[in-house]
Amino acid sequence: MHLPDGFINPNLASGFGFAAVGAIVFAINKVKQAVTEPTAQAALAGVGNTVRSISGKAGKSLSRFGQEYLVKMGLVSALVFAAQMFNFPIASGTSGHLIGGVLAAVLLGPWGGFLAITAVVMIQALFYADGGLLVLGTNIINMALIGAVFGYYTYSGLRKKLPELLAIGLAAWSSVFLAALACSIELWFSGTYAIAQVLPAMLSVHAVIGIAEALITITLVQVSKAVMGWEEVK
Amino acid sequence: MKKYIYYFVLIALIAIAASYLASAFPDGLEFVAEKLGFISAAVEHSSVMTDYTMPMLGETSFSTAVSGLIGVGLCFGAFWVISRSLPFSSRN
Repeated sequence: MHLPDGFINPNLASGFGFAAVGAIVFAINKVKQAVTEPTAQAALAGVGNTVRSISGKAGKSLSRFGQEYLVKMGLVSALVFAAQMFNFPIASGTSGHLIGGVLAAVLLGPWGGFLAITAVVMIQALFYADGGLLVLGTNIINMALIGAVFGYYTYSGLRKKLPELLAIGLAAWSSVFLAALACSIELWFSGTYAIAQVLPAMLSVHAVIGIAEALITITLVQVSKAVMGWEEVK
Repeated sequence: MKKYIYYFVLIALIAIAASYLASAFPDGLEFVAEKLGFISAAVEHSSVMTDYTMPMLGETSFSTAVSGLIGVGLCFGAFWVISRSLPFSSRN
């Protein structure tokens, strides 16, 4: 679902670019809160904020958990990159590949997952010409924000009522379906194609691709848990 | 430490297997763009490893495998470097 340049109106693409930057800043702050702890000095003084305002330093350091979490983000990002290369054939001369939003979010939480997928999408666009440059923000919104953040909250809502694996699978399928819906609307707003044709075409193909997304996500979550001893972020 | 090696081997195997086995059919969006006829609107750019191939290795599965492993390294490396170089990373 990587949009190339030319499909999306430049104004719309710029708007999505700003939105993506906003989401990235928000996500970095969220993750930063999770991976830092007050430095011993700041904690003893109980003046973390004062230290920051006077010295310009945060009065915080990366926690042991934080160091491991950042390495985990790298591992998950690398896994998603590799898995995205695996295009599987579906009906009638089409293929699909994993987006990996729910995979990353189940292992890292919504915002860590968002940053892991964002890194993949950026590296693909910059080094592999896979996905356009002007539409980088649009692709980040479609795949990282919808994939990981929407995907995560769908998963966490479903798992209260459903078995774990079913919740993961349904969230993965929904994230692909919603990303396809968003992509169709973007194409329509850009004047690239009429919504009446592009929407059913995109949704029908991605309803099938979503089934593979669900199966691959479930498998890779289980494998990651088994190999690394990770738990789902609940 | 061992589990990291296993996990890296797993990721590498996925990237290598994908290079030899992945379907060459257009993906969902490309397929729709071809079917409806707006694929011509696409403006392709090129980069160092365009279409997951190495410039010096041509368009072979081996070339894709090498470029894929580099991408795996780039993804992991980006976060690893961040984890070691943040202004508030512990220095010990």
